[in-house]
Amino acid sequence: MSVARRPAEADDRRGRFFLRAHSGLIYVFLYAPIAILVLFSFNRARQTAVWEGLTLDWYRILLHDDLILSAVRNSLIVAAACTFTATVFGTLAALALGRHEFPGKGMTRNLLYLPIIIPEIVVGAALVTFFGVIELRLSLWTVILAHVVFSISYVAIVVRARLSGFDRSLEEAALDLGARPLQTFWRVTLPLILPGIVAGALLVFTISIDDYVITSFVAGVGATTLPLQIYSMLKVGVTPEVNAVSTLLLALTIGLIAAAQRLQQGPSERGEGTD
Amino acid sequence: MKDWSRILATGLIVLIQAGCQGKGKKPAADAPSSQAKRLNLYIWSAYIPREVLDAFTAKTGIAVRFDTYDSNEAVLEKLQSGVAGYDIVVPSDYMVRILIQQKLLQPLDKARLQNVKNLDPLFLGRKFDPDNSYSLPYVWGTTGFAYNKRKVRGSVDGWGVLFDPSNRGRILMLDDMRECFAVALKYLGHSLNSKDPATLKRAADLLKRQKPLVKTYNSADFGNILAAGDVDYAHGYNGQFAKLVAARPDTFAYVIPKEGATIWMDNVCIPVKARNLDSAYAFLDFVMEPEINARIVNGVSYASANVPARQFIEPGILKDPAIYAPEAAVARCEFLEDIGDTTTLLDQYWTEIKAQ
Repeated sequence: MSVARRPAEADDRRGRFFLRAHSGLIYVFLYAPIAILVLFSFNRARQTAVWEGLTLDWYRILLHDDLILSAVRNSLIVAAACTFTATVFGTLAALALGRHEFPGKGMTRNLLYLPIIIPEIVVGAALVTFFGVIELRLSLWTVILAHVVFSISYVAIVVRARLSGFDRSLEEAALDLGARPLQTFWRVTLPLILPGIVAGALLVFTISIDDYVITSFVAGVGATTLPLQIYSMLKVGVTPEVNAVSTLLLALTIGLIAAAQRLQQGPSERGEGTD
Repeated sequence: MKDWSRILATGLIVLIQAGCQGKGKKPAADAPSSQAKRLNLYIWSAYIPREVLDAFTAKTGIAVRFDTYDSNEAVLEKLQSGVAGYDIVVPSDYMVRILIQQKLLQPLDKARLQNVKNLDPLFLGRKFDPDNSYSLPYVWGTTGFAYNKRKVRGSVDGWGVLFDPSNRGRILMLDDMRECFAVALKYLGHSLNSKDPATLKRAADLLKRQKPLVKTYNSADFGNILAAGDVDYAHGYNGQFAKLVAARPDTFAYVIPKEGATIWMDNVCIPVKARNLDSAYAFLDFVMEPEINARIVNGVSYASANVPARQFIEPGILKDPAIYAPEAAVARCEFLEDIGDTTTLLDQYWTEIKAQ
């Protein structure tokens, strides 16, 4: 190496070092609390801030805790029902907006973002008032309905993004070759936008599983979901059981988000341009 | 899209209702008590042992569905919706007053509750419900402070330690306006419901001078923070401290200060829209049975107002001042009451204190 190049190289190395250190610190800042939460779910002490050694007891207690198990069941029922409904209707909405011209289309498209932008607490309060007015008893049904309200938007937005890069000539080719419109939809359109639909569904599933604010408004008898249950347990002081259930929830959420991201990249893009 | 989803939601609701009406007059979830005996209970978390609910079902054949909440405001919100469907709720003293004012509770028919006689008169007829027309005491406790005995020399029996400059950085106070003013007012020798502007000014000044000594204001996790050793004195509700003191009695102690403190009480009530009234009355009477009540106290470690139950309660719990405050201490305590417009003044002072 020549003498002239040395300072530049040193600069480069120093720059890279600082960039790495900086990135490292950011990740520590973001994930250290979560790591500690997970770590303390294996803590033998009853208090959450004192370390007394490893144990799996909290997971064992968790698996025998009727309240938590029924809350988990409720959460899964709500998330599954809401994901199915929101995915169907959200996809239909995205297709309508992406494909067709109709009066009020611009308005409808803008309104699509509203349930995401409006503060959750407003949505929750509005829904509970609405249910009161139509005298619909609060139950697991009202939780599902409430979740569908905001979930449709997410699905529609994700699917619309997928549709925007869609090559219409493929459909035209299918129609040209004699496929009926419905056949074209099932054989050509749907497979192409499927990654978007699945990504939307997974996203909505995790949002539904996590939701506290809206659910706390609209949950009725026997409709306590996992986030509501955890929150009510905090009143008597956090035990590592809360850490244990949070850890499991975290694992589920991370798994689903990762799956959603992979699918959103789509089979063609996957492996390209990733860093 | 908001409208869109609303229309969809309304459509679904109409469908559901139509579907249910096809089957019977009422939606299935609303089955009246005469058909299926059930009880919908809305209660604080960790407030009733599972085995007590099982015993209730075994005795009466009434199936219990229960949900837990984390704040009195949750009860208010659910009952205000008018469609919550709970038959029993367990709000705290001040919330009972609000629920009565908003006509969300129904008067109790005492003739149907033969076990009311078991309740200690000391806990009846309090200002939030003077004739106990709408509520009966379920459990009660105090707001005092706990301290780390290993870090503190000498005996500690009053609020003074929380205002002592030598304890700078070792104090935790509840992040609660009324509770903090209660401490200051009691320390100065006044009622914690005082409305006198001059008195409140002095209390506010005291709290402002205390601020630099306070390490943190916290209402959720105060027991854990004391346990972790981050502070040596922690102001707080007795429940979390009772568990801490029971686990490490040689390290921690709970104090109901000699100047007096706050007493709180959670009460069983029947919402005005309760549908399973027979079940609700059966449940109220059941939890006031001495042996059952003792099982609740032994299970949840909160004090009840039931006198004959005491013979069945574990002596350790009965003697623990962090759970059963001695009668003399209770006499020094006051309930927080609605202080009307004075709240605005306190809000102003509290903002000044917190912003300081």
